[in-house]
This record gives sequence, C-alpha cells and structure tokens, in this order.
Amino acid sequence: MSYEGVRVDDASAQVSDVTANVTANVAVNATAGVEPASEFSKRLAVLDVTDFSVDYGVGDATVRAVNEVSFSLERSRVLGVAGESGSGKSTLVYALTRLLRAPGVISGGEAVLHVSREDGRVEALNMTTASEAALRSVRWSHVSIVLQSALNALNPVLRVRHEFDEVLKTHRREMSRAQRRARSAQLMALVGLNEDRLARYPHELSGGQRQRVMIALALALEPELVIMDEPTTALDVVTQREIINELNSLRSQFGFAMIFITHDLSLLVELADEIVVMYAGRIVERATAADLYATPMHPYTLGLLNSFPPLSGERRELTGIPGSPPDLSDLPSGCTFHPRCPYAMARCERETPELVVDERRGRSVACWLHVDHDSPPTPVELSGRRLRATVPVGAREEAQ
Amino acid sequence: MRLVTRRLGLYAVTAWVAVTVNFLLPRLMPGNPIQTLIGKLTGQVTPGEIRAIRLSFGLGFHQGLIAQYFTYLTQLLHGNLGVSITLGATVSSILRQSVPWTVGLIGVSTIVSFAVGTFAGTWLGWTRGSRLDSLIPTATFFQAVPYFFLATVMLLIFGSDLHWFPVLGAYSQNVTPGWNWTFVSNVIRYGELPVISIVLSSVAGWMLGMRNMMITMVGEDFVLMAVAKGLPRRRVIMHAARNAILPSIANLSLAIGLVVSGALLVELVFNYPGVGDLLLQAVLNEDYPLIQGIFLVITLTVLAANLIADVAYFALDPRTRTEVAT
Amino acid sequence: MKTLRVPRSPKVVTGLAIVGFFIVLTVVGPWIAPDNPSSTAYPALLGPSAHHWLGTTSLGQDIFSQLLVGARATMVVAFVAGLVATLLSMTVGIAAGYLGGLPDEGLSMLSNVFLAIPGLPLLIVIDAYLPVNSRSNAFVIGLIISLTGWAWGARVLRAQTMSLRNRDFVEAARIIGEKRYRIMFSEIAPNLLPVLASSFLFTILYSVGAYVTLAYIGLTSTSVWNWGTMLYWAQSNNAPLSNEWYWFVPPGICIALVGTGLALVNFGIDEFINPRLRASGLSSKQRKERGLARRTRLGLTPVSVTRAPTPRSLQPNPGVAE
Ligand SMILES: Nc1ncnc2c1ncn2[C@@H]1O[C@H](COP(=O)(O)OP(=O)(O)O)[C@@H](O)[C@H]1O
Ligand code: SF4
Ligand SMILES: [Mg+2]
Repeated sequence: MSYEGVRVDDASAQVSDVTANVTANVAVNATAGVEPASEFSKRLAVLDVTDFSVDYGVGDATVRAVNEVSFSLERSRVLGVAGESGSGKSTLVYALTRLLRAPGVISGGEAVLHVSREDGRVEALNMTTASEAALRSVRWSHVSIVLQSALNALNPVLRVRHEFDEVLKTHRREMSRAQRRARSAQLMALVGLNEDRLARYPHELSGGQRQRVMIALALALEPELVIMDEPTTALDVVTQREIINELNSLRSQFGFAMIFITHDLSLLVELADEIVVMYAGRIVERATAADLYATPMHPYTLGLLNSFPPLSGERRELTGIPGSPPDLSDLPSGCTFHPRCPYAMARCERETPELVVDERRGRSVACWLHVDHDSPPTPVELSGRRLRATVPVGAREEAQ
Repeated sequence: MRLVTRRLGLYAVTAWVAVTVNFLLPRLMPGNPIQTLIGKLTGQVTPGEIRAIRLSFGLGFHQGLIAQYFTYLTQLLHGNLGVSITLGATVSSILRQSVPWTVGLIGVSTIVSFAVGTFAGTWLGWTRGSRLDSLIPTATFFQAVPYFFLATVMLLIFGSDLHWFPVLGAYSQNVTPGWNWTFVSNVIRYGELPVISIVLSSVAGWMLGMRNMMITMVGEDFVLMAVAKGLPRRRVIMHAARNAILPSIANLSLAIGLVVSGALLVELVFNYPGVGDLLLQAVLNEDYPLIQGIFLVITLTVLAANLIADVAYFALDPRTRTEVAT
Repeated sequence: MKTLRVPRSPKVVTGLAIVGFFIVLTVVGPWIAPDNPSSTAYPALLGPSAHHWLGTTSLGQDIFSQLLVGARATMVVAFVAGLVATLLSMTVGIAAGYLGGLPDEGLSMLSNVFLAIPGLPLLIVIDAYLPVNSRSNAFVIGLIISLTGWAWGARVLRAQTMSLRNRDFVEAARIIGEKRYRIMFSEIAPNLLPVLASSFLFTILYSVGAYVTLAYIGLTSTSVWNWGTMLYWAQSNNAPLSNEWYWFVPPGICIALVGTGLALVNFGIDEFINPRLRASGLSSKQRKERGLARRTRLGLTPVSVTRAPTPRSLQPNPGVAE
C-alpha cells in the first residue's frame, strides 16, 4: 500500500529528545486497580483508564461530570461511548487527553497511554502526571481527535492545506515541502476528497467535506488512537452513513484504535467492538456491541436503543426515555437513573448499584436488576418485571 | 469585490458630507460669522484681499446658495481652498508645509502603537489569569488620560527636567532641512518624545481590545485543536491571534479618528509644525478658511487611512472574499 | 428581560467607587468649595498650603475651589452628551437593525459617515462658528459633542438588534400586532440593556475627553469653570514650564480618574456581555487548597493533588439514607 510506502522514519532528533523526557515521566504500567489482565493483553492495550473522575470547579459549587470511570482499550479496537448529551462523554475524553478547559479539574484516578515508539518499545505514559512536553510528544502523532463541529475545529482564516502542512512540519520535520504536498493529497484521497480542496478555506467546504478533512488530518501521522467526539452528529443521515463506512474501511486498513462517542447507540452497534454506556458521569453498562444490542441489561441502555432508528437492519419501536438527564449539582440518591427508570424498585432510591463485572461473560452492568451473577444475562425487557413507573415507590415495595 | 465597492462608496459619501458640512456651516450658523469677519477686516486689508476671502467662501458674486455651492465645489476640485486671513498665503500652500509633519508623526505613532498594543494584548489574552492581569487598571488609566495632558507631563519630565529628549519643534534650529542624514536623524530625535506620548495614550486601547478578542478566540475549538495537534505554544498562540486581530483592524476606522484628534493636540504641546498647531492658531485668530481647509484635509487623510485598513482586512479575512459554499 | 447583573469583581467595585465619588462631587462641589473660583483676592502663585490646598493661580485664584466647582460643568456636559448620544445611537441602531432593507442602508450609511469623520476636528469647526454666548451653555456644547459621539454605539446596537429580531418574543409581539416603535423600544431595547449601558459609559468617557479638549484650546467660554479651562489657563500662563505642577496636574488627574472609573465599570459590563471574559470560576483560595496552579494552561488540565472531597451534590442525602 502506497500509504505505508510514504511512512517516514521517525527517529529524528526532535522526537528522540522528547522521548527522553517522556521516559522520565513514565510510571511503567502503574495501573494498580485495573481489572486483572494477562501480560498479553497488557502489551496490547493502548489506553488504560482507572477510577477516573473529573470535576467542574472546586469547592462547594463543584459538580462531578465524570465519576470513577475505568476501562481499557486494546490496540486496533473500537470503544464506543454512548449516553445522552450531558452524560459526561466529552468531558471524559477531553480530560483523558488533558485538553479539558477550565473550570475542569481531574479529581481522581489515572489514564495510562501505551505509546509505541519507533524502535518498537512500548512506553506507558501516565497522562495525569505527564509534563507539557511529554503530552506534546504524544499529541496527534499517537492520539488524535475529531470534534463534532469541523467548522469550529478548522481555523477559519487558513486554507485546508495549511492545516496539513502545519501538522507534518511539526511532527515530521524531515519531510520536504514536496513530500508534505504529496502526503496531504494522498490523505485527502483516502477520505474521498479531491486534492483541489486543499486550496480551499473551511467556509468554502460543505459540512461533510469539512468532517472528512478533519478525519484525514487525524490520520495524518498514523496515530495508535483516534478519538471521535460525535463526528457525525451535525451531518445529514446520508453523509453520516458514508462517513461511518469510510471509517470502517480506514480502520481495517490502518488498524488504529478508536474511541467513538455518540448519543446515538444504534450507530455504535455497527462500528464498535465494545460499548460503554454512560449516565450522569458513570459507566452504567459495558459489553461487546453484539451483546449489548442483543441483550441490553441496563434499563437506560434499553431506552437508548429504543430512541434511535438503527442505520440499517430491523427497526425497533421508538419509545425513547421519559424525563430528562439529571442536574449534576442535584443528583438523585441511590441509582441516579431511578426517577426515569420504569423498573425502579424501592432499593434503587436508597442504594447506589456498583458496576459489577461479570468476568465470565465479559460484560458489566450497574443495576439492581442484575445482582445475581450466576443467572444468564437477562435482557432487561425479559427480566420479568412489569413496567410500573407510575406506581409510587412505596406502593411498589408493598406489592412485592 | 462587492464589499470593496461598498466601502469605496461609503468613503465617497463621507468625503462629500465633509465638504458639504464645510460649505454649509459658515452659512447656517447664527450670527453670520463670515459677514462679521469681513466687517472686522474692512479697513485692515485691501479690497482685493477681501474679494479673495469672499471668494474662498464662494461668496464672490451675490449668487444663490446652490450656485455658491457649485462655485465652491469647482474651486475645491482645482485644489483651491481659499486664502488664509492671517497668514496671507493660500490655504493649500500652507497645508503643503504642515501636512507631511502630521502624517509622519501620526502614521509612525499609529503603527508603533498598533504593533505594540497587539503584541501585548495577544500575550495578556493568552496568559489571562496570571499576575500580568494587574497591568490592566494601569493601562486603563493611561487610556483615560487626555493625550495633551500626558504629553505635557512627558515634556516636563523627560524634556525639561531630565533633558533626555530634545523638545519643541520638529528639528533643531541648527540644522538645515534637506534630504541628508544629519537632518533626518535630527527629525527622528525630535520626534521621539511626541511619538512616545501618543503611543502611551493610544496603546492601551489596542492592547485591551486585542486581549478581549484573544480570550474569546482561545475559547474557540480550533485553538484547542491546535493544542491537540501537539503544536508548539508559539504556533497555538498564532492560531488565536491571527483571528483575534481581525476586529482590531476593523476598528481601525474608529481608532484612527480618535488618534488623529488626540495627536493634533500633542503637536500643540510640543510645538510640532503640523496641522494641529496650525489649527489652534487658526481657531484663535478666527481664520475660517484655514480652519475649514484643515478640517477637509484631515478628513480626507483619515479616509485614506481607513481605506488602507479595509484593504488589510480583506487581505486577512478570506470570508470577506468568497461567499460561496460548494 | 435581561437584568444587568454585573459581575462584582474588584475592578468593577473600584470603578463604581470612583465614578460614585465624582458624581457626589458634581452635586456638592460648588457648595463645598472654600472660595469663589474667580475671585482674585489672594496673592498670585502660592504653593499648596493649609489655606490653599492646591495653591493659587497667577491671578490669585484658589485652585482647589476651581477644581471642586469645575467638576460640575465637566460632568454635566459629559452626562448630557452621553445621554443624547446614547438616545441617538439607540434610535438609529435599533431602527436600522430591526427594519432592515432600505432604512437600514440609509441609517448604516449615516452612522458610518459619522464614524469616518474624525470627531475632534469636526467639533472644532462647528465650535469655531458658534456664537460666544452659546459656548458657555453646557447643553449646547453637550449636544454638539453628542453629535460626533453617537455613531459607534449605533453600529454595535444595530448588530445586536439584528441578532434579536427573529427571536420568539419579538415574533410574538409582531403576531399580536404590536406597533413597530413599541416592538423596538419596549421589546428589543430592554434586552439590549447591557450593550446600551456600555455604550452610555463609553460616550460619557468620550465626552469628558472632548469637552476638556475643547476647553483646553479655548473653544468654550473661559468664564465657565471646568477642568479643561483650568488647564487652558495653566497652559497660557506657562504653568507646566514654570514647574507650577499644583496648577495643571490636579485637573488632569481628575479627568483621568473619571475615565478610569468609567472604563473599569465597563469591564464588568463586557464580562456580562461576553461570558468568556469572566474568570474561570476557580477562586484563588480554592486553587491553593487543592494545589492547583494560579491559572489553567490550555492543554494542561489541572489534576488536583489532594484527593477531592466528595462534592456536596454526591454526598448521601441524610433524609433518604436509612
Ligand atoms: N464548564 C462547565 N461548568 C460546569 N459544568 C459543565 C461545564 N461543561 C460541562 N458541564 C457539565 O458536565 C456534564 C457533561 O458534559 P459533556 O461532557 O459535554 O457531556 P456530553 O459530551 O456527554 O454531552 C454536563 O452535565 C454539563 O452540564
Ligand atoms: S438500579 Fe433500579 S433504578 Fe437503576 S436502572 Fe436498575 S432498576 Fe432502574
Ligand atoms: Mg459532547
């Protein structure tokens, strides 16, 4: 593949300088508390996140937008993050990359990025303790990010060509001008754009074209991890469809790992290997895409699946979720989903269900409906409880 | 292109308004100042001179207002601004002497002030929240001091007391004007303190404006993306600054008017031989033709400066050049 | 309707204090002045002393009294000019922005023309032709100054109005058949309050400068005491060069202080209009407690070193727990 052919030797003076810097900051696999994993999968992991919490503000007015989130992402895999808007998806990934703006503060946990250096070594970079220089050395060359609105993500007064040029100039210093041009054109071709778009300004491109430019840009340095924060939400369904297909083929071509954020769960089912569902800053369910789709265990997951028509395949009846996401500064007690949950029990109001890991089946859920590990995974619809959302909590208790 | 034509149209209209105001003012003001003036002058100057003065107001030949207006316009088109009452020379020849000094002084000051203010504002905006923020009230104070007052204080401290700078006039009595280094360096030396005064008075405006725009821009996604791309800090700042400077340039039109107004008085303080000094003399002597000539020339110069600022804006913001999305 | 709740930063408080002080001075200045500012009863050019806090002029007038009395004329002219200019810019700006089309073209052209003409030279030309008795009239001078100072506000208000004209509450008023001028002035204008306030302060600031400048070059009546005429007399008697700083420095400082006060208040309004200008929300005390840097660098999200206490919002609710 010609793409591989252009791959440049990264052992430039600049890069090795920074490497020294990174090594100083590395706590090699200091991931105490991560769920047990074999040596093999550790080597394969690209990102390990442990008990990660993020607050907005400090002091009394603090809200916790991400609450003790843990997950691990393996090389070349796609992790889907789903949840209604406001559930903390963006906050999570911005904080992981230390890009979150004030008043965001990382208030606990850690995130370790496993960086493959050019000489084949794998270094663990603890993102929460890394210096600015160390972060700069992994940004874009190892982790890149695509935002929802490409119009805002591209500098309005610069030509598209400039964006490519700048990235290549910064991270691939040995490339000549001609090489950079060739590389930019090649990247544009990858996402199905004509080379002549390089001479355009962002406002001269359509929404889909802009988002493709962003994707091409994100792949420019062949990073191990690409983060996509609702990359298709602003686009029409047809373009959305095209871009998802392109992403799928690009991924099989280059094998980058991906965190794909969306509030549209049905979209993830086609794209992701594993999916985590977030509600009010917590992970409430984690499973492979197939499992999650076939047997959603958390009532919130079920609600999300019923909120969107799938991009393809059988149609479910769209029912949505009653009510609206909670106010982070005034979270409901117990299970934070209980005021909206059709399956809520008295217990749900008092006690917070932990995210319970079911090692054997490789899935986890935080719901009192699924405390019994030994029973097979029961889809929430079939869990034998009738919808009793309108019955007051006290009355429900008595009835049982 | 449409925008350029619009701006050109605006300046044409502005120039026309300025000319018309100039024409109408002496005629519409209560008390008929021209008649009073001519009455005062009768006996002091020759009837020929009075005729010339009447002519410069377009009052030559007992015409109606419209006809007077056209006479006036025709004269203007020939560069004829009338004759100064007190100086006896034609207004245009007097202005030819003083306008270059003013344009030089204000031009240099504006460029220095814009550059310094923009750089400082960029940095202040980028580092907002740091200790540098305590500079802001000081900058505000300097912005609020009248130009002429600051110039007076500067003149006293650095000119009269400390003798760091030569003051009063645009060059020393001991050099002969001409295109040689002795003269030019002398002019630069004499220009330093006036330029510094004008810059000190005007720099805070650019600085605070740029700071606010920088803060707004740093909040934009594309700046965050520049960080995400692992670009060096200098380049990240450039991404924000490149956009933040646009409103500054768009505001040049307002600012140039204010700077010119302030700088005219600085000339006064420093006895600088520009139009500011001339304007004050003209006002004190009720030399109406000269006052009007100066007003016109200043307005036209400011319009020309605005045009330059507009061209810069079109060059820097691609969104003004194309409006089509493909 | 938006109420104007200006953030209470130290800057704003200082600004309000300064402006408040000078407003009080405007009212009481002439009453508390120890002497008649024009009376030439004292020896000339006395330095500051217990009797004459700021000394005397070359005519033997008490400078401190001139300063106190001069506050009124200066502030009244500036206030009149600021008020008239704001009314003008409100009318022109809102009408242009709301009506659109041809009226907009015309009104925008008008304000752009006034923006392009340099203010002070125009003021000087107008003022030079003014009969001498009008030059002592604060209202006439204020009106003329407002004429050269309204255009900027009009431009800003036009832009803001355009962003409001299709909002629901305006649509609703249109549908129930409100008269146009009522929509413009009782629906739209109240929502532009912050912008109006900012443009009012800005024009006052401009007007103080313009009035003082006119007075300084001798274009207002020299019989009315204001800070500009003080500077005029100081300058014509060569006070600066004779080192009589007590004569020309105090009025200059007063002008600068008024301007600083107004500008500081304007900072608060700017922060109200543009939320990004507000502080990031972490107080310095809280930052210190949690070991966070004084300012957050872009791309370096702070990690709190001390383990965060559980936010109050997440603490168990005692009313529900068993
Ligand atoms: N600057 C901020 N200050 C306080 N709360 C914020 C801020 N930004 C976001 N939040 C809150 O954090 C939560 C998570 O937001 P976000 O991560 O953007 O959600 P998502 O990406 O899932 O839509 C939301 O409830 C939002 O209200
Ligand atoms: S714990 Fe209770 S309230 Fe929460 S999702 Fe499960 S059933 Fe619903
Ligand atoms: Mg989001």
